[in-house]
Amino acid sequence: MSRELQMNKYIIIYSIGLTPLLLLGQTETAWALQSHSAPEGLYVHQMAHLLFMGALAYLYWHTRYSPVLISKGWKYLRLFCILLFCWNLLAFAGHQAFEHLTSSDFINKNNLTEQIAPPLSFVKVLYSVTKMDHFLNVPALLTLTISLRTFYLEVLKEDSL
Amino acid sequence: MTALPLLPAVAVEFFGSGLAILFSFTALWYAWALVRLRPDNFIWGFLFYFCIAMAAFSLSRGVGHMVRIFLVYSDHEPIWKKLSPYSGGFNTMLMISVAAVTIYYHKGLEAYKAIRAKAEKLTEANTNLATSAEQLRQLNSHLEEMVEERTRNLSESEKKFRNFFQNSKDIIYFCDINGIITNINPSGIRLLGFDAQQTSVNFHHLFNNANVLERYLAELHDNGSVSDLEMQCTGKDGTTRHILLSANALYDQHGKIIGCEGIGKDMTRIKTITEQLINQEKMASIGQIAAGVAHEINTPLGIILGYTQLMMDDFTQDSEMADNLKVVERQTTACRRIVADLLKFSRQSESEKSRIDINRIIEEVLSVTEHTLNLHQISVIRRFDANLPAIFGDAEKLHQVFINLFNNAQHAMQDGGKIILQTGKTVQDVRVSVEDTGTGIADSIRNKVFDPFFTTKEVGKGTGLGLSVTYGIVQEHGGTIQVESPRIDPTTHLPSPGTAFHLRFPAIAKNNTNDKEHQ
Repeated sequence: MSRELQMNKYIIIYSIGLTPLLLLGQTETAWALQSHSAPEGLYVHQMAHLLFMGALAYLYWHTRYSPVLISKGWKYLRLFCILLFCWNLLAFAGHQAFEHLTSSDFINKNNLTEQIAPPLSFVKVLYSVTKMDHFLNVPALLTLTISLRTFYLEVLKEDSL
Repeated sequence: MTALPLLPAVAVEFFGSGLAILFSFTALWYAWALVRLRPDNFIWGFLFYFCIAMAAFSLSRGVGHMVRIFLVYSDHEPIWKKLSPYSGGFNTMLMISVAAVTIYYHKGLEAYKAIRAKAEKLTEANTNLATSAEQLRQLNSHLEEMVEERTRNLSESEKKFRNFFQNSKDIIYFCDINGIITNINPSGIRLLGFDAQQTSVNFHHLFNNANVLERYLAELHDNGSVSDLEMQCTGKDGTTRHILLSANALYDQHGKIIGCEGIGKDMTRIKTITEQLINQEKMASIGQIAAGVAHEINTPLGIILGYTQLMMDDFTQDSEMADNLKVVERQTTACRRIVADLLKFSRQSESEKSRIDINRIIEEVLSVTEHTLNLHQISVIRRFDANLPAIFGDAEKLHQVFINLFNNAQHAMQDGGKIILQTGKTVQDVRVSVEDTGTGIADSIRNKVFDPFFTTKEVGKGTGLGLSVTYGIVQEHGGTIQVESPRIDPTTHLPSPGTAFHLRFPAIAKNNTNDKEHQ
């Protein structure tokens, strides 16, 4: 057994042995657990959008410059990346815009006749536009479907030869 | 400023959510189908997981939106307030999942490429190994057959070339750098006339002419080959052979000449025939000239002789003038005899031909000359064919043929010897050979012996017309005469000193009754 593995073994044994002792001690002043206030969820969601955009950008870049990925299906996949990237950007903007709106900015809230109250501002218009993010999301998923279908048909054709 | 209605946005949100779920699951189905078709393909595997995450995200988000619209617009907002954090949390988690799958793709793809490259190499190595194993197996199983086939082919090839070597009518030989013959075919042994058991024969020593040998060696050395070189060699039997030689030099791996291989064609017969044809043409030309000269001289000689004889009547026998006229008459008569011989040579003299037995003609000549021959210690050996067919000829002229030949034989045997007379027949011809054991005829003059006035005798002892007349008479009879020196002994078939004249006359067919003809 190597020296490092032996060290790890000792650390695990000591940790398991010390944990009950620590739990039995005074915990009020330890503050081991951190509380999560309300905006954290939004921040995490927005960060998830940014991470998603980064992942899509990477996927686009790799499929664009990888010499072996020359099938037509990859072009559709890259289009999917662009559209979904834009959707993420729009959704990110929509979430941010919503944070600047209050109940007074809506008329007949929670009703099918709901409206954005005048006077219209950039944030209000931006919010109303981002509410229709499916105009990007749905075409993105459609191109993903077409891309996968193209790959599938190509493989079928190869097998039939 | 008017308010901005949100109903269109809500409608887009509701139906868009449904379509998003539909498309994301359709994409997932295709990804699943791809993975089913290519389970080992990493990229399709990645897309499958990506689509799972996207479908889960679309489902979570779409359902969330639709539930929100349903609850909020049906006055159940408090319920949505409770569900909303869960929906948002799911959405966040699934977005992170999609991103994680994509990031994982990078490392996964690298690993997949590395594994695939190694797998391809391994597959290639396996394929090569399998191919080699198969080749080895086939080689093993067919080795015996292949060896047999190769051996058979080699044997056939060897047999073919051996047959060619053995049966060729030309000389085929191989010799080393010093000219020692290492291999020669039977035709070569026969034509060059040496013993098959002879262990060491130097090809260079067979050349009669040193200049030809020098040229042969120089061309082999300079050009690596010799083409159509005419060489003369003398075999063990002493006969001179004319060989048309083509040879190639043999080299070792360093390009150094180690010997040569060659083919020689025996041209002796062709050369002899050519010489005979040339000789015949020459004799015909000389004959025409001789006939012209003889005719022109004959008349004045007749006039000189006539007037001389007339003048002799005018003087007494004992007078000096009469003596002088007798000298003129004698010399003129000698001239007329020469002219007569020239006419015989040129076949211009008159003939009286009849059915003749050549044996009898020879006996008649011998009855006159044999005594003289015996006095010169020359014995005559007769080997006559008793059933010889008759020929059609002039007896007197044929007498002269044999007289001339016996005279020549006697002249060639000053210290005595033998004259061997042999007659024989073929289907159409009567053949006569007159051989002597004399000094023979040198190669350089053999072609001239039938020329008029060519003689080896001292001046005044011969006119040089004897063999010319003989040649003319034989030609006149439709026959041929050939000289052979040194002669081949008919009993031993070996070259022997002396000369042989071979005569051939056309025989008369048995049903031919026309036995006399005047020309």
